Amino acid sequence: MLARASQRLLEIRQAFRQLPQASRSFSTALNYHIDSPDNNPDLPWEFTDANKEKVKEIISHYPSNYKQSAVIPLLDLAQQQHGGWLPVSAMDHVAKIIEVAPIRVYEVATFYSMFNRTKVGKYHLLVCGTTPCMIRGSREIEDALLKHLGVKRNEVTKDGLFSVGEMECMGCCVNAPMITVADYSNGSEGYTYNYYEDVTPKRVVEIVEALRRGEKPPRGTQNPQRINSGPEGGNSTLLGEPKAPPCRDLDAC
Amino acid sequence: MASVVRGAMKSIREKGIGGFFRALREEGYLSALLDGNLMQTKIHNIGATLVGVDKFGNKYYEKLGDTQYGRHRWVEYASKDRYNASQVPPEWHGWLHHVTDHTGDELLLLKPKRYGVEHKENFSGEGDEYIYHSKGHTLNPGQRDWTRYQPWQPKKA
Amino acid sequence: MGLGQLASRALLRSTGLTASKPHRLLLRRAVVSTPELHNSEAAAVEAPPEPDLPKRTPVAGARVHFPNPDDAIEVFVDGYPVKIPKGMTVLQACEVAGVDIPRFCYHDRLSIAGNCRMCLVEVEKSPKPVASCAMPALPGMKIKTDTPLAKKAREGVMEFLLMNHPLDCPICDQGGECDLQDQSMAFGSDRGRFTEMKRSVVDKNLGPLVKTVMTRCIQCTRCVRFSTEIAGVQDLGMLGRGSGEEIGTYVEKLMTSELSGNVIDICPVGALTSKPFAFKARNWELKGTESIDVTDAVGSNIRIDSRGPEVMRILPRLNEDINEEWISDKTRFFYDGLKRQRLNDPMIRGADGRFKAVSWRDALAVVAEVIHQVRPQEIVGVAGKLSDAESMMALKDFLNKMGSNNIWCEGNGPSPNADLRSGYIMNTSISGLEKADVFLLVGTQPRVEAAMVNARIRKTVRATNAKVGYIGPSANFNYDHEHLGTGPETLTELAEGRHPFCSALSNAKNPAIIIGAGIFGRKDKDAIFSVVETIAKNINAVRPDWNGLNVLLLNAAQAAALDLGLVPESDKSIESAKFIYLMGADDENVDKLPDDAFVVYQGHHGDRGVYRANVILPASAFTEKEGTYANTEGCAQTTVPAVPTVGDARDDWKIIRALSEVAGVPLPYDTLSGIRSRIRTVAPNLLHVDEREPAAFSSAFLRPEVKDKPDKAPFETAVDNFYMTDSITRASKIMAQCSALLSKK
Repeated sequence: MLARASQRLLEIRQAFRQLPQASRSFSTALNYHIDSPDNNPDLPWEFTDANKEKVKEIISHYPSNYKQSAVIPLLDLAQQQHGGWLPVSAMDHVAKIIEVAPIRVYEVATFYSMFNRTKVGKYHLLVCGTTPCMIRGSREIEDALLKHLGVKRNEVTKDGLFSVGEMECMGCCVNAPMITVADYSNGSEGYTYNYYEDVTPKRVVEIVEALRRGEKPPRGTQNPQRINSGPEGGNSTLLGEPKAPPCRDLDAC
Repeated sequence: MASVVRGAMKSIREKGIGGFFRALREEGYLSALLDGNLMQTKIHNIGATLVGVDKFGNKYYEKLGDTQYGRHRWVEYASKDRYNASQVPPEWHGWLHHVTDHTGDELLLLKPKRYGVEHKENFSGEGDEYIYHSKGHTLNPGQRDWTRYQPWQPKKA
Repeated sequence: MGLGQLASRALLRSTGLTASKPHRLLLRRAVVSTPELHNSEAAAVEAPPEPDLPKRTPVAGARVHFPNPDDAIEVFVDGYPVKIPKGMTVLQACEVAGVDIPRFCYHDRLSIAGNCRMCLVEVEKSPKPVASCAMPALPGMKIKTDTPLAKKAREGVMEFLLMNHPLDCPICDQGGECDLQDQSMAFGSDRGRFTEMKRSVVDKNLGPLVKTVMTRCIQCTRCVRFSTEIAGVQDLGMLGRGSGEEIGTYVEKLMTSELSGNVIDICPVGALTSKPFAFKARNWELKGTESIDVTDAVGSNIRIDSRGPEVMRILPRLNEDINEEWISDKTRFFYDGLKRQRLNDPMIRGADGRFKAVSWRDALAVVAEVIHQVRPQEIVGVAGKLSDAESMMALKDFLNKMGSNNIWCEGNGPSPNADLRSGYIMNTSISGLEKADVFLLVGTQPRVEAAMVNARIRKTVRATNAKVGYIGPSANFNYDHEHLGTGPETLTELAEGRHPFCSALSNAKNPAIIIGAGIFGRKDKDAIFSVVETIAKNINAVRPDWNGLNVLLLNAAQAAALDLGLVPESDKSIESAKFIYLMGADDENVDKLPDDAFVVYQGHHGDRGVYRANVILPASAFTEKEGTYANTEGCAQTTVPAVPTVGDARDDWKIIRALSEVAGVPLPYDTLSGIRSRIRTVAPNLLHVDEREPAAFSSAFLRPEVKDKPDKAPFETAVDNFYMTDSITRASKIMAQCSALLSKK
């Protein structure tokens, strides 16, 4: 009797569990700020002297009454300088430079998923999760990365070197699946943003290890038999000289 | 019919004639003579399965097969003289109204203890003591000198 | 002939087409918009095509103003021709034609966002439905608002809006006055197709006035646009993207605007609701009474929503000339003060110094007895900030009959200049400020003294980049301004043309000088006024077509008091007074009174004034009586009783009338209309209700010359705490909370 009741209870639990789960995944962090010791409005933040020159240069691209147009390049520069993420004081500083209310800068920084508002690793690995890459196995690649690094998505490894995030289509569908490595290890001077295409779960781990050793793995397609976006093993069609367009030369007809 | 008579005879033999009539009254057979609703329920009950009994003693019956679909679940209230739909506790409501196929007993297992407010039937129309009167209402026995504004009190000098 | 020639010929033909097209369009437009063509013959010819269309009335009294008659264009809304000025949007054209277009994000007074897509209409020859709020109407446009396409488009939009909207209408304070609720009755489906989890958003803390339930937000951005454009505090923004989009401040920040309550009104859903009103009442239980606000001198038009004997909330009423459709937070939220600290019984201070509640008969008898025991010149009357014109008239008549003429209204200073009406009202008028191009604020901080006037100045500054110069202590402004100086010497510099701001002033076409009523209390006020008048003369601010010399008053009673001539005979009268009648006056300095003076306090709140009183006479507050108030621009308006009086309180003028009877000098009127005919003989402008009576003469040329120079003392802040200015607001808990949390210290 008791056994049957508990059996039934299990069944009931099962029945009730079929409700859709509240699972949402965002590539970006929260849309509001929570004060923490390394991220609060009272922390001082300044562009470095080298970057101040760049700021001047960026601002000079825009008319003086439309300074606010410089918000995205300035935020990008600030992010590169600050190791890949934007503390709230950096956004405040940008707002001061372009003379707008801070909230106008927050709006921009929260809109674009390329601006990180929480800490990332020195190498921020972004896995493309859009349909073509997903069909070609981006989930496995992300799982392999997460397993190898022992972190969750948007979490930084203990040594502060790596973090894994998801990005929407980066326009490399022809070489899917792909990951991007944003390299913040050398500040804004040595900042690189490289695509690694045609990766496999094995290959991404190798890339990560190479990065850990300080090497720079060759960017682009990781399939040795392909050149850029060309087909595997060389071209198979369109081998001859391209024919002239038919009936375009109006005088010839 | 014969089985009913046989059951009654058996019961008289067990309880004696007085006990039999007491049981008849408690089960509502006597009030059923005057209450058509109850009589119909009793007639329905013949051959139906008793699915469960809640803590108030309401009995929940189900009869599949020759009953019209949608009328195959019903309740016989514990109270035979004063019954209404609000006596059904929430855990049985869903089963009774075909919201769920899980019986009240099963749903009770899922009910978290911390929400344990006892079910209370609706006493509307059962007398003034059951009706809620807001603060300041003529029939609210509390606070008679209640005002909607707070007067200024001179400071005790 | 080769293909090339063919092609070039085709090209030629097409260019010819494109060349002729604008020509035809131009011609067509000329036909449509030329009035003479449209007047007689054209109308006669086109008269028949107006067959079975019923006459339409514009939505909500929408008016069409043609700044230039040549710019009129004609569009067709559901086949009904309507003439509108060029530049109007399709939605506005539909409103003029009497078709109400559903909308969420569009608001008359805010910039156009066009992001809710609810206002989709069908336009002939347009491939897709058109968002009417953002589409300019073009000549000859055929707009269709009730076609299946438009309906289907709106139903689609509504389904998306309801997708993430919680189904909590039964516990939502907006329920019953919710735009989304109303429009989903017309365009919503009875079931949704969305099977995912609904989005939920963290609530934001916007301070003690605005309650947020951000999950209900439909991202119309009205609140963002309001706070940026009208309130002038750039705190709110739209954060995130896609389905994660939310309204917020990003960093924890309270909304420190004096107009923040208006976001409650403009929010089309229940995302922003009133915190003090939360779960207090449903809007259909409330009785609306159209009244006016008395907490400042603007006289904002309000609707007092009451349930039974309680004021439940206060909402703005549209008045283009005064408050448009906004009100300040003080006006909106001080109402809980009406329920606290009320005087409900007449009281007499006994020999032991304690108050004892007595009957009206006894209280009036005591007052009448005492007033006969003092000499007439020792009798002083002070009207309070919230007094209405009728009671001030009665008080003045009564004290005059007793032989005293020492009566004034607090805030007007010891020797107010009541001779010339233009010397104490806002001559430009509040709506007239929009035409000004330079403002000179002298000793006034409109943001705290009159928030609605400040909103008007901000609107002007935003629209026309008008310059603002400010003289006074350092203050908070929500628009660009130049702080010229702190004291009268800056004024002298301006008058003598030595100040850099002079060029801006003299180049201005319509300069507006606003003098704060705070300087009424200064001894050198006549000198300051004469300096300001010199400036006005220099820059030609007072002309037949423009009067730019304004005084911004502080209290609701001030203008009416000066109209009625409540001017004390001597400015030292309070120091020798033996009998002083405080009619709601709480801010008068009673410390100067002799110890043996007899103080009668007549008012509705136990505030500062009662503690020195010997007799307390309970009066009714402005929500409980009918009274006339003149606002700072000289517009007389009346309050209407919304709720019954509390306890044993009576109307102010009735108490004085009864007192005069007991004292043996009965006043010749015993009805409100009687007292008003008495007012007609003194200040007829107070009876022209809801009309602004401009001052007849302008003071710049009539005032006697003042020889003495103004002091060196800098101007002082007239209002320390925006949220607590009078007895009602000081009794209010919400205002206390606001001043604790929001006032910048």
